[in-house]
Amino acid sequence: MHRRRFLQTSVAALAATGSSSALHAATKAPTHHDITIYRFKFVPDTLDVRVGDTITWQNKDIAPHTATANDDSWTTDELGKRQSQTLTVTAGMSGDYYCVYHPHMKAKLTIAS
Amino acid sequence: MKLKMTLLAASLIVSMTGAAKAEDPSKLNDLEIAHVAYVADVIDIRYAHLALAISSNPDIHEFAKTMIRDHEAVNEQALALLGKLNAQPQDNFLSQSLQKGAEELITEMSQLRGDAFDKRYAENELAYHKAVNNLVENAFIPNIENAEVKSLFEAGLEIFKAHEGHAEMMVKKVN
Repeated sequence: MHRRRFLQTSVAALAATGSSSALHAATKAPTHHDITIYRFKFVPDTLDVRVGDTITWQNKDIAPHTATANDDSWTTDELGKRQSQTLTVTAGMSGDYYCVYHPHMKAKLTIAS
Repeated sequence: MKLKMTLLAASLIVSMTGAAKAEDPSKLNDLEIAHVAYVADVIDIRYAHLALAISSNPDIHEFAKTMIRDHEAVNEQALALLGKLNAQPQDNFLSQSLQKGAEELITEMSQLRGDAFDKRYAENELAYHKAVNNLVENAFIPNIENAEVKSLFEAGLEIFKAHEGHAEMMVKKVN
């Protein structure tokens, strides 16, 4: 009896905690992030984001660039000088990305769980 | 050290072009320097179009497309700046020397096919960018008087150094 009550209490508490976290995550306002492309580098070159956040890549170089997933699952358009593009973070965007025109330009997105 | 690098860059250009007499690139004025840079960009664009026409290597194609895209972007900025300054670039010995060398190299590369072309193209891209970068960094930028022209050359140098690194990767891939 005590054991059953304990389990029921624990499960209820866990569920409540889980609901609270889920509610907190669901209601947390998306954050906007800026990444500058300058002198053939993504700045910052690593970024922690959440699903639903937005990221703007702005190219400050003369040369056109892209931000493209290593597995090609997402990409910006070609960004000419002073051009920018904003993408909304989805679950599949975690990982390394690069510029398809200049493969030595590398950066990384990490999606918080 | 700077003089040594300038002379090295000049000698590389002269040896690339087969010119018999070396003149001093550091004595060029801003408008002559602009002309050399524009010609150097156009030459690399011509090499890239040749590569697209002859090579069947996808890596070479991607590299060549990048050269066209970037050098056209630089020249667009250069022409815009010259227009703003109401200035015309001035032809000079170095532009002519570069053009002569390019004609000879294009004739040579046009005869090559397959791996032989890819290797020659990649190796020339590396040598060409190294030589031009030395020239821009050590002979041109220190002597450019106009601040906006100097700034454009500094930005251009960033691009061409990236190309030099990219060309090194290409040479490794095709060898």
